[in-house]
Amino acid sequence: MLLNKLLINYPYFAAVILFAVGAVIVLTRANLIKKLIGINIIESAVFLMFAAAGNIRGGVPPILDQTSPGRVYVNPLPSALMLTGIVVSVSVSALALSLVYRVYKAYGTLDARRIAEMKSEVRDRW
Amino acid sequence: MVTAIRDHLPVLVVVAPLCVSFVLPTLVRRLRLAEGLTTLIAVIGLSGAGYLASLVLSGGGTSTVYSMGGWPAPWGVELVVGSAAALMLLTAAMVSLPAVLFSVNHLSQEVGSSNRAVWFYTLFLLLYGALAGMAVTNDIFNVYVLVEVAMLSCCGMVAARTDSRAAESALTYLILVSLGSALLLGGIGLIYIITGHLNMGYASQELSRIWQDYPRVVRLAASFFLVGLGVKSALFPLHVWLPDALSCAPSPASAVLSGLAVKGYLICLMKVLYNVFGGSLIQQLALDKIITVLGMAGIIAASLFALAQDELKRRLAFSTVAQLGYALLGMGLVNASALTGALFYMAAHAASTAVLFLAAGAIVTATGKKRVSELAGIGRKMPVTMAAFTVGSLSLAGVPLFAGFVGKWNLLLGSLEAGNWLGAAAVIVGSVLCGAYLFPVIRAAYLEPAPSDDKRQDPGWLQKLSMILLGAAVIILGVMPGPFLKLARRAAVDFIAVR
Repeated sequence: MLLNKLLINYPYFAAVILFAVGAVIVLTRANLIKKLIGINIIESAVFLMFAAAGNIRGGVPPILDQTSPGRVYVNPLPSALMLTGIVVSVSVSALALSLVYRVYKAYGTLDARRIAEMKSEVRDRW
Repeated sequence: MVTAIRDHLPVLVVVAPLCVSFVLPTLVRRLRLAEGLTTLIAVIGLSGAGYLASLVLSGGGTSTVYSMGGWPAPWGVELVVGSAAALMLLTAAMVSLPAVLFSVNHLSQEVGSSNRAVWFYTLFLLLYGALAGMAVTNDIFNVYVLVEVAMLSCCGMVAARTDSRAAESALTYLILVSLGSALLLGGIGLIYIITGHLNMGYASQELSRIWQDYPRVVRLAASFFLVGLGVKSALFPLHVWLPDALSCAPSPASAVLSGLAVKGYLICLMKVLYNVFGGSLIQQLALDKIITVLGMAGIIAASLFALAQDELKRRLAFSTVAQLGYALLGMGLVNASALTGALFYMAAHAASTAVLFLAAGAIVTATGKKRVSELAGIGRKMPVTMAAFTVGSLSLAGVPLFAGFVGKWNLLLGSLEAGNWLGAAAVIVGSVLCGAYLFPVIRAAYLEPAPSDDKRQDPGWLQKLSMILLGAAVIILGVMPGPFLKLARRAAVDFIAVR
């Protein structure tokens, strides 16, 4: 029963797995670039969930065709929303990468743990 | 022309700052003009917000509904200017104008060059537009977009200084907050999947009909919203990014971040919880208990952390986390008095914390001293700055006749009404702790002798004016809370009445 549900809803299942993978990467990796990749994976998981929600099995693209009524159209709205989401995610990545560059120039490393150590030394000296 | 402006005012308060912010990057060499334009927009924002609030007040609490692009509700995006939106707009304008005035002639010193100052104003106006949008929007996907705009501009403002710590804390902020965005978007997706609506009103109607079919999905969606917006508004266990970000940002940015940005996310959370899920569903899902406990824990724990901080701005940052706990507590008690208290306290705290951060910024700029223990005798050298600081502290500590008291009083009444004695105790203990970490600063400033080689003095007249304006706002809100309290009460009643 449960397996059957999972098989029918496999896109959502994939989204959950992607989300978990991304979360683990963000929370356990010290490398800042890997953290950003993790965030991108998490965002893709959410996009997948939305896109899957818009799909209807056997649906056709939502272009109104009056000659053949009774057709099932897929829902275009979630895809349109996700275009916005992708734009947001790209801008977040761009800003984050520029900040990573500044941090790298200042500290000479991409390792979040070592940066935190250096930062606490700076604070102790004050 | 005038009627056209009046009809489109709900969207103009959002779009005008955004449009001007897109023009500012072309003026990077002309700092004066950029400062003038930003101030102008802040003044226009204040008058627009005042006009909309007066409409709401005189209309007996009826909301103005504006359909974007003329598309009616279930299809188009809806903007609703009700009491809550008017209160939030007014608060945003009330704090933004002094923050801009403080930045004029001063910001270049803090961020390094006049080019960077113009970029800072660009981000500031983006944030202001996004906050106004969060206040008026009635569409959950629109909330997501505005939240992202606000988040990116906050992040840029935190990184505005050239030192390495600023970049590092902005990056930490961005990483944590993008996790929050993903959760928020997930919550929106779940609500859309089960209800088929993004409009808060329609989603709420549908949800009340069908939630029993999908109890787990509804629970998951609610927790996504709570955690996602909770990270962004620095609610207690998720506040880890806030102290670094606030202590690294330039002082007008800290004032706006602590006073407004986190409030914007909080008002979104309040709208989603009350306007989409509704009060009774919150109680059935036992979310109210979780929120109340988080609020109380935040008040007490963050106040204790604040006591341990020696750096003035970090102490104020932890104080912000503690004060947000009050708003959360009020949100969790699900009754009109507590919600009134929470809403009013959000406005009161916005003004009080902004004046505290501006005063702290003025002190740091004048003396280079960041620590509380180094502030001896500063009250006589910088009288206006310390007077403003004193007003802000008294308000946060909940002394009567200052803004914070009115909010805390209503929260206290609300906790007693809900029979939540722990909540009432948390409100009182939090106020005492707040006095315990803010009053030593004032005591050192006024009662301890200054070092003899002291050339510290108040900042320029614009900076003094901005602190006086905010201090006056704090006192006016405390002495005559009338219109603000009325807006808060009507907003609370509207929130409770959803279902």
